[in-house]
Amino acid sequence: MSDPRGYNDDELMAVLLSREVRDGEVSACGALSQIPATGLLLAKHTHAPEAELIILNTVFRPFHTSRQFHFLAQRGELGLFFVSGVQIDRRGNYNLHQLGDPDHPTLRFPGGYGGGMIYYCAHRTVVFRTEHTRRSLVEKVDFVSAAGHTAPDVLRLGGPSKVVTPKATLRFESGPGELRLESVHPGHGIDDVQANTGFDLGDTSAVPATEAPTAHELHVLRTVVRPLMLETGTYARWVERAIAPG
Amino acid sequence: MGVPYVPVIGLVGTDLLARRDDMVVATDPFGSGVKSVVARAMRPDVAVFHARQADRSGNVSFGYHVEAVMLAEAAAQVVVTVEEIVDRVTEKTADGAFLPSILVDAVVHAPFGAHPGGLTGRYPVDREAMRAYAAAAQSDETFAAWLDECVFGVDDHDDYVERFVPASIRGAVQ
Repeated sequence: MSDPRGYNDDELMAVLLSREVRDGEVSACGALSQIPATGLLLAKHTHAPEAELIILNTVFRPFHTSRQFHFLAQRGELGLFFVSGVQIDRRGNYNLHQLGDPDHPTLRFPGGYGGGMIYYCAHRTVVFRTEHTRRSLVEKVDFVSAAGHTAPDVLRLGGPSKVVTPKATLRFESGPGELRLESVHPGHGIDDVQANTGFDLGDTSAVPATEAPTAHELHVLRTVVRPLMLETGTYARWVERAIAPG
Repeated sequence: MGVPYVPVIGLVGTDLLARRDDMVVATDPFGSGVKSVVARAMRPDVAVFHARQADRSGNVSFGYHVEAVMLAEAAAQVVVTVEEIVDRVTEKTADGAFLPSILVDAVVHAPFGAHPGGLTGRYPVDREAMRAYAAAAQSDETFAAWLDECVFGVDDHDDYVERFVPASIRGAVQ
């Protein structure tokens, strides 16, 4: 193991996402979500054995197509959803559509099926981003794929809960409708986090350090979850590279 | 479903909603005062699918799971291209999604009809052709040239397969 921390960023983020899962709830992530998929399985094999997992595009899915998943979320039965955003802004909006001038984008993304619905329906959504820079955490996204905050008279069953990056965890405060720094991961400083965030984090003097992955979490991750992820096929090549063998 | 519009949770405050004229924010007609998006029904003139098998009556077995029935129900005309025509397809024998013939207007025998896309369980995506398509789609001029070569420039489907579906894809058929 070359990383002096004893874990890498992928393992750290998987552990942090796993801690967001509550036992007995339905928790889900989309396709192309290897870190959340790992986090969901880790939660199931640590503190949330009765969690019901939906990991789209793998063997861990109860439905053949997206329609039933869509309606499950709309019925308010989805407790937790993990989503990624190319850009995330201070107000908890995320962008999975395009960068640049909205009429002449420089780069387009798949858009993310259903995100504009699930962000309003899952009780909590945790946004994850593997890059914590001023281009990924911005004052205002170039295109709002899903809005963090809506007026009180708009039908909404849930909303953003946290943003997790390799450097820090941000918490969404629903009152002001803004992201606040919750904790800074071991090895990173508050100044470094602010310098790499494209919006003002406000008073960060009392922000604590994130609890590092425990020996137990890393052990289960590497000896139980890694083999399960290899079995998915979808994520086998990623997990071989990202998660250390037990 | 046959209804003119349907309420949808979400999308309020997004640029997606701002750029569409078939969705609006409406207030609950039952008096709660709660607002949500209402989307106008889509009624396509034609829906086109590519599937694994069909019979001559128009019963279709997709060979993969897909939300086909709702789209077929919504469309006025349904055309299905298939890898092979077989004697009989029923809901029981179908693999993956099934379309009953009552929803299907035409079946076309078109092996490799998904190309340059792939057909799950049958042959993979032609990544090189997809890259060429994506590059051509960057401007109207290059896209017109792509259409001239790959769509208007072929005699028929067999000619397309012969010229554009590489041996590596044809050899991968399961």
